[in-house]
Amino acid sequence: MEYESRLSLVAEMIRDHISLDGIDRYLAETGVQESDFVLVEPCEFAGEIFAVDGSNVSICNWSTANVNLIRAGYAVYRGRVWRRTVITFDDVFVADTKLCRNMFDLYLEQFFGLKGVDLKESDLDRLSSYYRELQEYVAINETLGEAHAGDIILYDGSFDVFELLRGALAVIFARARELGIALLAVAKSSTLFWGEEITLPFVQHTSTIGSGLLPGAAWYLSLKDKKVDAGQGRWNGQTYIVRFCGESEHAFRVDAPTYLQGEMGSILGKLAAYSCSSECLGYPHALFRAHRDIRITEQEGAAVRNKLRGELLERGMTHLEIRMLMQDFHDILEMRSGF
Amino acid sequence: MATTQEENQPRMGENLLNRRVIVKGDTTYKIVSKSVTEYHFTVPFVLPDEERVEVGQIFSIKDQGLTFLARVLNIEHSSNYDGHWDTTMNGTQFFDSDQIFNRVIAEPLGCINKRLEFKKSRTLPTKFATVVRAEKEEFKFLSQVMGDIEVGYLRNGSRLVEEIPVALHSEAMDHHMGVFATTGMGKSNFMKVFAASCMRLFARGESKFGLLIVDPHGEYLKGKSKDLVKGLTHLKRYREGLACYSTNRQNASDPGVEELAISESEILPEDIALLYDWSPPQRDALEAISRILDPANWLEEIQSPEGMARMMQEGFKDSTVMVLVRRIKNELGRNQYIRKRSSLANILANLQKGKVVLVDIPRMSDRSELFLLSVISRYILDEYKKDEKEGQESRKNCLITIEEAQRVLGAGSNTARFESIAREGRKFGVGLCAVTQQPKLIDKQLLSQFNTLVVMGLGDRNDRMQLEESAKQDLSSMDIEIQTLEKGEAVVSTLNIPFPVPARIHRYEDYLRRLETEDKQESLITRGGFKPFLD
Repeated sequence: MEYESRLSLVAEMIRDHISLDGIDRYLAETGVQESDFVLVEPCEFAGEIFAVDGSNVSICNWSTANVNLIRAGYAVYRGRVWRRTVITFDDVFVADTKLCRNMFDLYLEQFFGLKGVDLKESDLDRLSSYYRELQEYVAINETLGEAHAGDIILYDGSFDVFELLRGALAVIFARARELGIALLAVAKSSTLFWGEEITLPFVQHTSTIGSGLLPGAAWYLSLKDKKVDAGQGRWNGQTYIVRFCGESEHAFRVDAPTYLQGEMGSILGKLAAYSCSSECLGYPHALFRAHRDIRITEQEGAAVRNKLRGELLERGMTHLEIRMLMQDFHDILEMRSGF
Repeated sequence: MATTQEENQPRMGENLLNRRVIVKGDTTYKIVSKSVTEYHFTVPFVLPDEERVEVGQIFSIKDQGLTFLARVLNIEHSSNYDGHWDTTMNGTQFFDSDQIFNRVIAEPLGCINKRLEFKKSRTLPTKFATVVRAEKEEFKFLSQVMGDIEVGYLRNGSRLVEEIPVALHSEAMDHHMGVFATTGMGKSNFMKVFAASCMRLFARGESKFGLLIVDPHGEYLKGKSKDLVKGLTHLKRYREGLACYSTNRQNASDPGVEELAISESEILPEDIALLYDWSPPQRDALEAISRILDPANWLEEIQSPEGMARMMQEGFKDSTVMVLVRRIKNELGRNQYIRKRSSLANILANLQKGKVVLVDIPRMSDRSELFLLSVISRYILDEYKKDEKEGQESRKNCLITIEEAQRVLGAGSNTARFESIAREGRKFGVGLCAVTQQPKLIDKQLLSQFNTLVVMGLGDRNDRMQLEESAKQDLSSMDIEIQTLEKGEAVVSTLNIPFPVPARIHRYEDYLRRLETEDKQESLITRGGFKPFLD
């Protein structure tokens, strides 16, 4: 087979470039220094941690528009004790550039005092993602109404967001700052990279190096003035790489608004104290719970699909029409049952 | 978890929000699945010792007008998370106690309706119905179905339910009883408690059967003074319910203990037959004795030259007859209680009155014990058969205890006498109480005739399987519980009690103290409050 020889070449390339032999090249090319890795001391605190997340499942897609089930909300913890999970949005969204402009405007105006959104035709694929993010920001905004000074709000994702929604984020930052609430975005995956010859995974390599330098400890690294593009300047904040738990192998990208710069050690220490659960070692537990409680499962998606199909049949559409509308041709190619 | 539509305070963009708040609810102690034959419910994964759930515990589920009862069969670690995430070495710092729990698998016992009637359940509790540890209120119906021979208290896991005594039914005793336990688990203690309750019934004029106990270990009569273990004679208050016979001269010198004697005329050739392995000619000779010699005097005759000559005249070789004679002489020499007089009629009379008859034969050999038991049992069965024909309705039934019963009820054993009691004794009011630590050696068909089983901890899987396959009530689901029974704990399966009942058998010495001080006319099974174990 042709690809076998190619695979061995790829493997060799990965070993040569992705696998780290030492830290010198990393330090030289990223501008990171060993002293940039800062120890995080876990520290329990009496405040509440809010974790905001969202979920999005496609219900049907007819190329020029699609229907999605979107859910957003947040989980609240005091220490290790889960207090509640609040679902702020749980609805079907029709992603059609001509129809949904108003849907964005409504929320942007009411929650963030913003007007007018420019949805281009080419944004169709991203419309439901935008809308989900907008609902997540609405959820963050809701947590600001519940949180008290000193509390921490975590957002599952990054603050380096689509241009379309940066205005909403700026309003949120301003409100959080005013209330004295820490607001951080924790990303499970990251496209941050380094390397002059080849694109290398920044978070993973930083994790390996940081854990080598500070074994068994939680730590963070600020990317300020480093040769890594984390969208600095685009969203009025700073990006960090953080290992929340010394026993875990994982480090995460963490974005924080500029106003938190002087407090990051203390804030991360509070989070580190609650990132050691056996359920999800090394990840802020509130985010884990938010993910579990807010996610839309495959079964839920299938159930909504079935309901929609029933509604269409009731309205006189034929099975053939429904199949044409709702079936993805990939399902036919893959010989999957269903529509 | 519980979900509520929140009563919003006025908020920004309120009309666009439809907030749903999920708060912590009681996620444990709820039925979560599964069927009419198996319930699953959840309990917290960490519980203080006194609240831990144990195999064998009985829980109740109140659901509208019904109270379902279910017995714990097994407990598993479980969670709402998929996969094997909890097998990674992430420690035990679980945060979400509503997501991680223990799943309890329970066997439905039945349900109680508003009229406190217990029935087998043909339905299952509503999903998420609340489960609580069953307490005395839920067990009250059991008091209505218990019998008259108290042996212990109901046990819920390791906890006693002292208000609910466990008592066997006298009426079931001619349907045979089995007492099964490995050494040291409390068989002898059980038998003494059982006998004490029978003595008490006699003293109150409520006895329905006589109990014969042949004790080769000499422990039932006076106990063991050095271990502070008491015997049946220590129950002075109900001493009238006990008749004692002993082969030991010293024991027999006590007032109230008669020296045991069996008359030569009461011994039949078939009693001798079960003592040895015989060759076919020897067996033929034994069977011919009753025809050739005087049945009432054959033991004396066969030892005389004339008797031996008559046997040889019938065609038996002198060597065959000599073996017979030698063995008979050995037995007569070994069993000094064989005399001219006999205690058998007296024993029978006491049994028929409903007394406990204790035959104390300390230090007797295994073979001699079997021989004696065979003679007595045959005599009793024959007399009960006669009574049946003559319509002696005033006499009480009888229960014959056989220690180490696997010797005589085992598959292939040549002790057809006991087998015949097991198979047909019931017709004549004679039951067997088989005591053994190896039920696997007892013939399965015979075991299936036993309607009352007292199981007290059996480590051998084959023993448990044998019982499970033969029991009238389903014991198969209780395998783990039987395996983990502690000393003095038992599972009692009997007629009239709707499911196998977990019990703690009274410690005899404590029970004795209670019986000695109780109001004689007070009903035992409604008394309650008795502490069966010393602090």
